[in-house]
Amino acid sequence: MTEVLDLPLREQAAAIAAGDADPAELLDAALARIEARNPAINAVVETFPERSREMLAAAPDGPLRGVPVVIKDEWPLPWRAQRFGAADVPGARFAPGESGPFRALRDAGAVIVGVGNMHELGASSTGNLSVYEAARNPWDTTRCPGGSSSGPAAAAAARLVAGAVGADGLGSVRFPAAYCGLTGLKPTFGRAAMDGHHMAPVTRTIVAGPLCADAADCRLLGSVMFGESLAAGEAKGLRIGVVRDVVSEDVTPEVREACEGAIEQLRAETGGEVREVELPDLDAATLAAVLLISEEGLSGVSPQRLNRLDPALSPLGRATLKYRMLLPAAATVQAARVRTLMRRRLAGLFEQVDVVAWPTVPAPAPPLDSPVVELPSGHLSADQANVRGAALANLTGIPSISVPVGLSAEGLPLALQLQAAWGRDELLLDAAEALEQANGRRWVEALPPLAAAQPTEA
Amino acid sequence: MDSSPSADDFLSAGLASYGMEADEIELAVLGAIHQLFWPPILELLEMDLGDVEPERDLDLSRAP
Repeated sequence: MTEVLDLPLREQAAAIAAGDADPAELLDAALARIEARNPAINAVVETFPERSREMLAAAPDGPLRGVPVVIKDEWPLPWRAQRFGAADVPGARFAPGESGPFRALRDAGAVIVGVGNMHELGASSTGNLSVYEAARNPWDTTRCPGGSSSGPAAAAAARLVAGAVGADGLGSVRFPAAYCGLTGLKPTFGRAAMDGHHMAPVTRTIVAGPLCADAADCRLLGSVMFGESLAAGEAKGLRIGVVRDVVSEDVTPEVREACEGAIEQLRAETGGEVREVELPDLDAATLAAVLLISEEGLSGVSPQRLNRLDPALSPLGRATLKYRMLLPAAATVQAARVRTLMRRRLAGLFEQVDVVAWPTVPAPAPPLDSPVVELPSGHLSADQANVRGAALANLTGIPSISVPVGLSAEGLPLALQLQAAWGRDELLLDAAEALEQANGRRWVEALPPLAAAQPTEA
Repeated sequence: MDSSPSADDFLSAGLASYGMEADEIELAVLGAIHQLFWPPILELLEMDLGDVEPERDLDLSRAP
C-alpha cells in the first residue's frame, strides 16, 4: 500500500474508485508513514486513528473518497479544538466542532488523518515557532518549513499525505509551498470554505488553500474546498506581466535565475508574451496588509485580557499582540485607502496582462535557528523579506499560486509566484500546469531526501 | 526611527494608557517591533490618498 500512498492525490482517489486500492489499507499506510517520518519534521501534531476510521466508514462516494489528508491547526474538528499553534489566543473561543473545510473534506469522502502544525498565531513566514515546537523542512530538517502552514506543507512534501489544507492571511500557504517544493494556491478571497475559523466573521485577508505536489492535485483539492469544479483549460497566449521592483530584484541570484528561466519557459509553452508592467507603492501595500490583518486580530481582545496571557506564549507573540493594541487608527484608515488604490491599479493591470509573476520568496528556506536571508540589499529577517512578495494578494483579494521552479545549490526548493485577477484561480492552475509541462514536471516530481528514503520504511 | 526616548515614551505611554503590563523581554521585543514598523507607518500617514475614495460595499472576491 506504500506505493498507492506515493501516488498523487488524484491517482489515489482514482485507484480507490476503481477498486484497485483498499482505502482502509491506505489509511493504515498513511498512519504508519506518519509514525515513521514525522518525528524528523514534526509536521503532524496529532493523529486520531479511530476518528479517521470512522470518517472512512462513513465516507460518501465523493471525489476524494478514502484519501488521507492533513488539515492545519487553524480549524476545529468535531473531536478536537484548534490551538492556532499557540498556548493562548486572546479573543478566540476554541472548541471542538465542524468547520467549512472539515465539511468540504468529509462530504468529498476524504479522511482526515492528522492535524498539521503551524506557526504560533499564524504570525510568521518561517514556521520556526509553535506551541508544538517547530515543524521542520523535509528537504533539510535544520531549515524552516515556511509558515504559517508549516505542518501541512511539510506533511505533503514528506509524502505523509498527498494533499493538505492550509490557510493564507499574508502568504501562509505560499511561503511553506515555496520552502517545501510544493504547489500552493491562495484562492480569491471568499472562494474557499472558511466558516469555523475564529477570524472568519471579521477577516478580509485570510483564505483556506490547498497544498499539494502539483497543480492538478491543487485543482482537485481546491475544487473540494471551493465546492465547485475548477475546470481545466489551456493557458494559451498567456500575457505575463513582470514588475521591476524589490519583489523581483532584491532576491538571491539563484532565485532570480530560476524564476526568470521559468517565466521564459511559461511564455514559450503557452505561446504568450512577457510584458514589463508598472505597479507602484508595493511597500505601502505590504504595510497596509500587515496593518489590516493586525486590526482583524484585535477582534474580541481587551487590554486587560492581554495582561492575562498564558506565559507559555512566546515573548514575540505577547509583544506582537500588545503592539497591535497601540497601532494608530489613522494608519488603518489609510491602509484601507491603499487597499482601494491597489485594487483599482490591479483591475487596470489585469486588462493588460493575464498573470503577474515574481518570486514567491526572495531566498530559499533559512535555518530554523536563524531565519535571516542574505539579499542584494543586505541581511533581512525572512519575515521582513518574504512578506513583500505575498501581501498584495491578501490586501486586494486576488488569487495567487506558488509553483516550484528549481533547487538551490544547497538542494533547497525555489519558487515562482503567479497572480491573476479575481476569480481566475483556474487560470493560475492552468498556467502552473503549463509550466510543469514546460519543465518536464521536473520540480513537482522532485522528492526531498526524507521522502526519497527507503520505500519499505513506511 | 531609532530606539530613541520618543520611541520609549510612545511604548510606555501607550501601554500605561491601556493599563497594559509588559515585562523586560516584552518591552525589548516591543521596541524592536516599533523600530521596524513606526517609520513606514509615518510614511503611510503622509501619503496623499485624498483622491482615493473608499469602495462602497467592499467585496474582495471581485474587482472594484
